[in-house]
Amino acid sequence: MNTSTIDIGYMALAAGYLLLIIPILLILYYRVKLLKNLLVSILRMTVQLLLVGFYLQFIFQLNLWWLNLLWLLVMVVAADLSIIHSAGVTVQKFIFPLFVAVLAGTAIPLAFFLCVILQLPYLFEAQYFIPIAGMIMGNCLRASIIGLSDFFHSIHKEEKAYQLLLAQGASLQEAVLPYIRRAYQAALNPTIASMATIGLVALPGMMTGIIMGGASPMTAIKYQIAIMIAIFVGTALTVLLSIRLSRPGSFTAYGTLDPAIFAEKPA
Amino acid sequence: MNDSWRCECRNISIRFNERPVLADFNLGLRPGERVVITGDSGAGKSTVLRCLLGFVTPDQGRVFVDGEELTVESVWRLRRKMAFVPQEADLGRGRVLDVLHRPFTFKSNADLDFPETELPALLERFYLSEALLQEEIRTLSGGEKQRVAIIAALLLRRPIMLLDEATSALDREARTAVQDYFAGQPELSVLAVTHDAHFQELAHRVVDLQPPQGRKTR
Repeated sequence: MNTSTIDIGYMALAAGYLLLIIPILLILYYRVKLLKNLLVSILRMTVQLLLVGFYLQFIFQLNLWWLNLLWLLVMVVAADLSIIHSAGVTVQKFIFPLFVAVLAGTAIPLAFFLCVILQLPYLFEAQYFIPIAGMIMGNCLRASIIGLSDFFHSIHKEEKAYQLLLAQGASLQEAVLPYIRRAYQAALNPTIASMATIGLVALPGMMTGIIMGGASPMTAIKYQIAIMIAIFVGTALTVLLSIRLSRPGSFTAYGTLDPAIFAEKPA
Repeated sequence: MNDSWRCECRNISIRFNERPVLADFNLGLRPGERVVITGDSGAGKSTVLRCLLGFVTPDQGRVFVDGEELTVESVWRLRRKMAFVPQEADLGRGRVLDVLHRPFTFKSNADLDFPETELPALLERFYLSEALLQEEIRTLSGGEKQRVAIIAALLLRRPIMLLDEATSALDREARTAVQDYFAGQPELSVLAVTHDAHFQELAHRVVDLQPPQGRKTR
């Protein structure tokens, strides 16, 4: 670990919370109904990050390949459930396909990043393995939610147009193709747009972290470029695999969308 | 029962959320026959058409197309004998010409050529200009969309036409043009859901569909 980053003392961090007085006063003054949510969120953020901090510290000290791999798998399951929840689909039909999609979408660019770009002697080095996996997966998660929701909800919403394709003689593959294209576009557009504006509008988190860790800005941008590529490859893989792998269980043998895939009946 | 039916619903019963929509329903369509289904809303008129296309699976009863039973295996083949014009024609996205071309890119229609030469005559017959072909389908009016949907169905040259309120958004002139066109195609078997009096006059048979219990045919 790089030791040149200044640590923040617990008392100093506590002082940081005082800054929150400004928005809380504004919320109270204008009677915006946010106070309860805000306080709950601050509490959750604090508890969750503390737990993760302690846990990661422990994992980093041990630095065992199987423990790091296990951590990755736990993250994949958490991402899997989060996608299912946000996309409004049922656990039974989606848990396995999405697990494979997120795992493959994360592991492939991760392995490339660690082996080819960083050329790590020890692939499972916690200091690199865990944060890079986390950054790729976080983006895969976000993109997969957009892609999966767009795909299934569009077909549901445009059921008539979709069924007309079937009536006109389309195979299932042909009928879903326009919806795959649209979902793919919706899911990948944000990543493509952020690549085009990166560095201009906001300094990306990874780059900032590496600079504060004591590395030169040039090292930082090389990492940033590499991670952007890894993220894009990861999202592109995850979104397509999410749709492709969940498709077989989501349509009836007659080619219509199985309404049982939705956790709640969509509007 | 009868092999001369183009398509047939045999003892069909369907319930949606415990509500019976069709109960022991029977209907056959002969080659070249025009049958109109009419009746109150909620009587299951559209369901009959959707059943024939395999979009709704009956709880009881069977569906036949050209004597062959509609099953998960046969449905993909049998759909190619039917052309469908849905209610509130939603044709997806794209230019009108692309929308008309699209079915011809499907593998199952590989044996069909896009009938370039028939298109202008159909447009003219249904009071549409050729300039419309270049427009985005979403910018069309309801009546224009309906006529494009009808043309899309006709271009596929399928022997069975399933029309679901296919002329509801048309003015009288256009509606008559469409209905007279169908009446002038003796080889087409037409099953049309409509309340339109003119279409009923042109039909060989009118089936008055009532919600389950108390259905009559005249």
